[in-house]
Amino acid sequence: MELVSKLPFLCVISTLIASFCMPVLARWKKEFCAPLATFITGAVFATALFVGYHVSHGNVIHFPVSGWPPPWGIEIVVDTLSSMMLMLISGICFLILIYSFHAIKHELENNVVGWYYTAFLLCMAGMIGLVITNDIFNMYVFIEVTGIGAVALVASKGTRLATEAALKYLLLATIGSGFVLFGIGFIYMMTGNLNLNYIAMELSEVKDSYPFLIWTSLSFLVVGFGVKSALFPLHLWLPDAHSSTASPSSAVLSSLVVKVYIIAFLKILLIAFGLEIFHETYIRSLILVLSVVAMLAGSFFAFVQIELKRRLAYSTVAQIGYVFLGIGLGTPWGLTAGMLHILVHACMKTCLFLTAGAVYYQTGRKKVNQFAGLGYKMPITMGAFTVASFSMVGIPLFGGFISKYGLALGSLEADLPLLILVIILSGLLNATYYFPIIGQAYFSLEEGHEHEEKTFQKDKIPLSMLVPIAILAVCILYLGIFPGGVLDFINQTVVKLL
Amino acid sequence: MDVNILLANFPYLVTIVLFAMGTLIVLTQTNLIKKVIGINIMETAIFLFFIIVGNIQGGVPPIFDPQMPDALYINPLPSCLMLTGIVVSFSVTAFALALIVKLYIFYGTICAPNFMKLK
Repeated sequence: MELVSKLPFLCVISTLIASFCMPVLARWKKEFCAPLATFITGAVFATALFVGYHVSHGNVIHFPVSGWPPPWGIEIVVDTLSSMMLMLISGICFLILIYSFHAIKHELENNVVGWYYTAFLLCMAGMIGLVITNDIFNMYVFIEVTGIGAVALVASKGTRLATEAALKYLLLATIGSGFVLFGIGFIYMMTGNLNLNYIAMELSEVKDSYPFLIWTSLSFLVVGFGVKSALFPLHLWLPDAHSSTASPSSAVLSSLVVKVYIIAFLKILLIAFGLEIFHETYIRSLILVLSVVAMLAGSFFAFVQIELKRRLAYSTVAQIGYVFLGIGLGTPWGLTAGMLHILVHACMKTCLFLTAGAVYYQTGRKKVNQFAGLGYKMPITMGAFTVASFSMVGIPLFGGFISKYGLALGSLEADLPLLILVIILSGLLNATYYFPIIGQAYFSLEEGHEHEEKTFQKDKIPLSMLVPIAILAVCILYLGIFPGGVLDFINQTVVKLL
Repeated sequence: MDVNILLANFPYLVTIVLFAMGTLIVLTQTNLIKKVIGINIMETAIFLFFIIVGNIQGGVPPIFDPQMPDALYINPLPSCLMLTGIVVSFSVTAFALALIVKLYIFYGTICAPNFMKLK
């Protein structure tokens, strides 16, 4: 067997082993935790790039874990969708870990830093496992691993608010995974298989004999994954959890953790059930309605928040609506745009949360009305913030524009032109809560400093925090100006799924 | 509805009732320990469901017996899956209880409405 087919599996295993080494290492040599975690994640990122290069030539990696062939054993399948998510997850995690080098000592108590890296790597291993596995029960296990890692990331802050948010997140996430497991149980009941491809084969034969069971299992899966990925009325845990913890943890929770559940849902929906069942049932209309409500209500709730990180957290609720809209449309452009939005939003939200952390690091400010004059004090940080916000609003030349444009094309394809109005309205709502911050940063000065000249100073944050922010801003610009390559890559996936 | 169908599928009815009960307890009870108990009831319902799915009436445990070469075996796979499920449920419970202890230190109470407000 070729080496390359074992690599994705090794990524999960090495991250897990590194995660379990962290608490021991933290007791023995505390200063080694951060470099080791960053090194492992960097190695995983390099592997992911190699696998992505291999997959982009039309190969699909099939790897039976411990040698058991598919219908009996767990199979790992890396196609273009999985390899895209693999690269995204490991890349973003790598940048966030570089950022954590200095930031985490500032935001967390010294004795929990080791546990922070444990939770981070556990969460990352869960996410990678979730996107590469082809077995639905294995998916459930990785959902739980990711969930527990994410809750531990929230709880690692240790404050009153963070502990409260963590418990709320844990309880609701467990209900969510309970629903998912019930849905998986129904699928197993109908088909007697756990492998996605075998389920698809079996289901195409027997779907007429169980119309009611297909309905039931799809409803359970929608509710379960909806809770997990914070689809609008089920988002109640998200704002607290994402705003009360340390900025690097918020970044990984907001940009990646909620997305991998959508990818898992998409895999079950499109590979196991197939597009035909999806269009026949009312699940599609439900997803469309909920996503439209999410896009508008999430933006509205974000508008009324005063604390920057809470505003960003509610903005995530709105952006999840965009991704679900793309899935709900179910047309080639809609799906492409939804997946592109997963990618773009991961870059934007990470960038925004990291800049929020950088502002807190240098000035100790958390509220959105305290940004006066920061555009001159921290030019690179605020520059990146501006780029990410413009992309959020959907201004041309920035990454967010391409995905919104794709969604608009998708809604034309699906014959629902009114949705374009909703997309534009939501973009305008985004503008109402991002532009005041940027305007303040550049065009007004702090109280007591009104007479100072507006001169650019250097950011007073460590280089390890500045570089990831700058790289993410460049990525957003790259996705906005040269989206061709990425769109081609995503298109390969969509053509295969539809 | 035909009562006989309901009676034949009696175990499934029990799992659904238990699942709904557990979910309701988590969402409505204010005592945090009761919430954790609700989580456990909910997950136990799912375990029960999987084990029923694998069961065949009149089946024997899937251990090969040379004296009965063509016996009807039950499906052991769902039961094995639930071993993993039990481990997950156990760790979630332990984690939740640890967080509750921490909240008790902060607030001096385990009643949710005092602090679990929607914001």
